[in-house]
Amino acid sequence: MSEAQDADFLLGSRGVSRDLGAWVVGVAWERGGGGACGFGLGDGTVRVARPAATAEDWASAAAHGGGACLSLCADARGGFLSGGDDGRLVRVTAEAGVDEIARPARSRWVEHVAAHESGLRAAAVGKALHLYDANGAALKVLAHPSSVGGVAFDAKGKRVAASHYNGASLWFVGSKEDKPRVLEWKGSHAGIAVSPDGTHVVTAMQENALHGWRLADGQHMRMSGYPGKTRSLSFTARGRWLATSGADSVVIWPFHGGGPMGKAPTELAGGDGVFCTAVACHPQHEVVAAGFGDGLVLLAEIASGKVIPVAPPGHGGVSALAWNAAGSHLAFGTETGFAGVVDLSRR
Amino acid sequence: MPESTPIPVTVLTGYLGAGKTTLLNRILSENHGKKFAVVINEFGELGVDNDLVVDADEEVFEMNNGCICCTVRGDLIRIIGGLMKRKGDLDGIIIETTGLADPAPVAQTFFVDEDVKARTRLDAIVTVVDAKNLPARLADSREAEEQIAFADIVLLNKMDLVSPEEAAEVERRIRAINPQVEIRRSTKSDVPIDAVIGRDAFNLARILEREPEFLSGDDDHEHDGEIQSLSFEAARPIDPEKFNAWISGLLAQKGQDLLRTKGILHYSGEDRRFAFQAVHMMADGDFVGSWREGDPRRSKIVFIGRDLNRPQLRRGFESCQVEDGAAA
Repeated sequence: MSEAQDADFLLGSRGVSRDLGAWVVGVAWERGGGGACGFGLGDGTVRVARPAATAEDWASAAAHGGGACLSLCADARGGFLSGGDDGRLVRVTAEAGVDEIARPARSRWVEHVAAHESGLRAAAVGKALHLYDANGAALKVLAHPSSVGGVAFDAKGKRVAASHYNGASLWFVGSKEDKPRVLEWKGSHAGIAVSPDGTHVVTAMQENALHGWRLADGQHMRMSGYPGKTRSLSFTARGRWLATSGADSVVIWPFHGGGPMGKAPTELAGGDGVFCTAVACHPQHEVVAAGFGDGLVLLAEIASGKVIPVAPPGHGGVSALAWNAAGSHLAFGTETGFAGVVDLSRR
Repeated sequence: MPESTPIPVTVLTGYLGAGKTTLLNRILSENHGKKFAVVINEFGELGVDNDLVVDADEEVFEMNNGCICCTVRGDLIRIIGGLMKRKGDLDGIIIETTGLADPAPVAQTFFVDEDVKARTRLDAIVTVVDAKNLPARLADSREAEEQIAFADIVLLNKMDLVSPEEAAEVERRIRAINPQVEIRRSTKSDVPIDAVIGRDAFNLARILEREPEFLSGDDDHEHDGEIQSLSFEAARPIDPEKFNAWISGLLAQKGQDLLRTKGILHYSGEDRRFAFQAVHMMADGDFVGSWREGDPRRSKIVFIGRDLNRPQLRRGFESCQVEDGAAA
């Protein structure tokens, strides 16, 4: 790619990037004021980019020695939470220190992690969802009928949702009696998202479709027609829209004015035949960041459909994408290990 | 960065006590300089140091498409997804199934999931069989018969325990279920690793390169169990549209009873052979190399399954031929 073309992308003028040499499994910005960004990699390390650091200065933490990071999120109170195929749940600090929180089961993978600012942490190992408090003390183990495919807390941290075969389970974290509300729908459910107002749960299915439940009355929502598997789901800040991957455009479902039932989704930034592989909605505005199978990263404004290119194609399919809480910085990573951080703040 | 080549996956099946774990230990302890990931079920007993061992629960789920035979192994989709993200190339993945497992969901996983399909290929289904006890197993277990029906390679193990006559009879029983299967005899699962790994035996195109006569041969095996094998030939070229209509209808209606279907087809006006295969209802097909100079261009199809109606299948296949006298 020539320099002239590179200049059309914000990564060239406002970003730093680096080849990290291994699949970027997850990316997250730490909570609180620290402003560090963590990349969980397929070589078992977590790389930490601190604000104003050049890409060469990103620190490396050996989170899962010899294995792979399988899931990464911002930890409850700063730093990052990482689950690996070495069976460990670890916390990685912004200084790239590693503390083991738990090793829930021997020779089992910690496949999904989630955390809430209240201090709660969740780690899925096979059929079990392990919950820990802010100090790492085990709170409870929630059992599911089959392996957990995805985990999400609701915005308040009161409930945790886990997807599995034939539906999802919604648990009250503080409840004395652990009995979930089971949301049933046949098939295998992987990724899961809870709407910001806590009224809807949506899962990504094996069958190139999403399934949703309106919790007030249990109304089912079938969102189908994707040419590929949907992996990535992201609600806009106030929950008016749900952005999804799995088509050659960014498919956005309306969750307002009666919900998505019977309505067609909005499609943005489509047309070049490459599948969208990752989405992340801006934390305040109705703007979605999207990554594609060829490495292209862009921003799209939902109302206008206006598109701003962020990173050019050519560095492998985008596998991870995250905004910081202020919405001023966007980080992304790809299957082939390319990673970038872009400063989108007003200058 | 170039697209990586698909990682070969070997599926190891076999009834309890047939010698599956011995074979696995043998493969892994042999000094082959390769790196394998081994997916074992939680009841397995395995001591391996160098290779990557993953515990799995055999989690089979039904696809939400209204078809009860469209079952896949969800745990494999997740595990293969995880393995693909690891740094460092794997030379192969070996999946051990429990003794009572139906191999279909494992095989179907490789047809259904787009990520699994893009990054791996099914190398072979290897079934380990106890030469002494097979007749008893075939009499009392549906799974034992299915494991042979699905196999690309059968390892006829515990040969030290049977007479030559018994061995011949066991082979006859195996061929009656699956005439095309490659049979390797062994004692204590002592076969070289390349006899079972890296065979590319699930891939019809590769089998044809190795054995051009694959799928031909006689069809007169008696069948003593529930599962039988039927093969048919067609002399005139096949009309692709007619074939697609017929086979999709057949698989939709009869897919549950059809364990495996394999065909080599001479499509009208096409110089390349078309290789077709299906596991229950899930089908796949592609053009493979040209017909060999001088060889008759005859289409063949083999069905392995239960309750097969020979005249009906024959008529169906024959009706897919282009009209007599039409241009080939």
